Amino acid sequence: MTRPALKAALIGAGQIARQHLACLRQLPGVELVAVCDRSPAVAECAAERYQVRSWFTDHAAMLRDARPDVVHVTTPPTSHYRLALDALRAGAHVVVEKPATTTLEELERLLRGAGDAGRALVEDYNYLFNPAPREILRRIDSGEFGAVVHVEVLICLDILGPDGFADPNTPHPCLSLSGGAIADFLPHLASLAHLFVGPHRRAEAIWTKRRPSVLPFDEFRAVVEAERGTATLGFSASSQPDAFWLRVYGERMQATANLFETRVTFDRVRAGPKPLRPLFNGLEEGRAIRRAAVGTLMRKFRGGPGTYEGLFELVRQTYLALADSSPLPVPARQVLEVNQLVSALKPRPGAP
Amino acid sequence: MKILVTGANGFLGRHVVAALLARGHRVRALVRPAARLEGLRWGNPVDIFRADVRSGMDLAPAFDGVDVLVHLAASPAGGEDGQFATAVTGTEKLLGAMARGSCKRLVLASSFSLYDWSRIRGTLDETAPLEEAPDLYERDGYTIAKSWQERVTRRFAEQHGWDLTVLRPGYIWGRDHGAIAAMGQKVGRIHLVIGPLARAPLTHVENCADFFAVAVEHPNARGETFNVVDSEGERVWTYLGAHLLGTRQRGLRIPVPWRLAFLLVRLGYATVFRRNPRLPHLLVPCRFEARLKPLKYSNRRAAELLGWRPPLDFRECLARTYGSPPAPPVIALGTVGP
Repeated sequence: MTRPALKAALIGAGQIARQHLACLRQLPGVELVAVCDRSPAVAECAAERYQVRSWFTDHAAMLRDARPDVVHVTTPPTSHYRLALDALRAGAHVVVEKPATTTLEELERLLRGAGDAGRALVEDYNYLFNPAPREILRRIDSGEFGAVVHVEVLICLDILGPDGFADPNTPHPCLSLSGGAIADFLPHLASLAHLFVGPHRRAEAIWTKRRPSVLPFDEFRAVVEAERGTATLGFSASSQPDAFWLRVYGERMQATANLFETRVTFDRVRAGPKPLRPLFNGLEEGRAIRRAAVGTLMRKFRGGPGTYEGLFELVRQTYLALADSSPLPVPARQVLEVNQLVSALKPRPGAP
Repeated sequence: MKILVTGANGFLGRHVVAALLARGHRVRALVRPAARLEGLRWGNPVDIFRADVRSGMDLAPAFDGVDVLVHLAASPAGGEDGQFATAVTGTEKLLGAMARGSCKRLVLASSFSLYDWSRIRGTLDETAPLEEAPDLYERDGYTIAKSWQERVTRRFAEQHGWDLTVLRPGYIWGRDHGAIAAMGQKVGRIHLVIGPLARAPLTHVENCADFFAVAVEHPNARGETFNVVDSEGERVWTYLGAHLLGTRQRGLRIPVPWRLAFLLVRLGYATVFRRNPRLPHLLVPCRFEARLKPLKYSNRRAAELLGWRPPLDFRECLARTYGSPPAPPVIALGTVGP
């Protein structure tokens, strides 16, 4: 017997919502029933573009009338808590964009609400589902990588342009987060650290401001001690070109990936004369970089989700799990532990 | 009349303000909070109202005492969402504020890009079909935003019984804005002129601004839609040559037959590129056509209904664009709320 389609709805039809809608539209077993935005034109445009059955400007009316099984919350972060809670109370599972909430207390209340209602709360850690981290995980699981000793994650992204976070005319919603615009990226950093070295024990962070702008901070570094190893995390608004570096250090192998591209390379301990190891590793790395450069270009030309391929994979796995009542790709415990690290990384009260 | 002009310090906006002032109107200029107003050449007092139409602030005070809204604010640059936020969400907020006041007259700057270029043959005029869903969403973010902006504005006007005039300018050009998409593809110093004999729908910024001023005043403009072009279009080859000469660039023009280029683009789009909408614009067939399709253009409707003729001919426009710079700025700005 064919299983009935899961009814999906979305609140907040801005930039990232387009990725969710594009993904949901092509997922089998999913019916896009409603989209909601405070702007009627934004809501109607999204419904027309992605062939969503209905559109709303009031999320309560949407939850009541469309009765979705899953609600994607893709509004600015400060409204996530209230909207996700309402969706859970209406009996829906929730996929919420990062950062799920503005405080750890709100996140814990949401998780309790989800647990009490028997519903899922999945935060979007899309980069965990990109091919590069998955390939590194595969090598770790196979044993060839050895145990992970340390992970470095550094995002270099110019967020000081006038059209984005640093718009001098309209304050960006993320500026109200503790840490400002960089706080919007902390879940990426924390989720990758958690993936490779587990829940944190302690963390020390440095928040600084390098260039004049409306942002409270534009540079961030942190050192993390975790259950299975250590991590250093960073964000730079000044270093160019834009890149999302992930480096994982294992006992027998080291991996380097740029998650904005398709590049992933491995250095490994080899048999043979020790002086020749750098040569062989370099040749192998060169081949991998050339392949990745072509792959990144072809990915741009051929379309598809591009750097959001991890989001598509996460959403696909989430809907499969919900349909089968099997374990979620991002379980509640992971959401809690990642957010505990995010909370520990935030600037301390009284910081400039 | 008292006229509220949004996007007043933009390329078109500053000339529209000047044209309205020259006709004896009072102007309130709505500009963004961080907008720099140095270098504006408005010789009469202009009220400055600083606000961002995207923000949640109350825009109703901007309409105090205003008889006509000239809505130019848009964002031709930036990402798709930024363009949509300014042109559409901003318009919703602005017109929501207008609905709470007494202003009933509105002139909207729409765009030539709204047309469905793939269905048009011969001459493009106001009767040409508009791009509709789902094909609209293969077009660029600017076209999607401007299409929705016009849709939203027409709904507001209908709902509140406003007198709406929609103006759809072609390529607006002028000093420091001579480069247009119809020039084709530049590779270093080589310009691939795709369809060298094709015509570009040009309107010089001063002619375009004059049209807006006429549309504000003329009773026949109410409830009407006009394309804004200075002529049936200038040859792309000629225009690019004048641009290179005027900007003292040493460039080599290479003609590429339009049909051949379009065939290759369609072939590539359907095969190698798998209908990827995120390709550069010239590799997506519908966007290629919207920029380069060889058509003729007409301003006959403007001439018949409004008696409008562009004040400057092409030669004068070239002189204004590439000749000696104008006299130093004269600024006299007042300020009203908030």
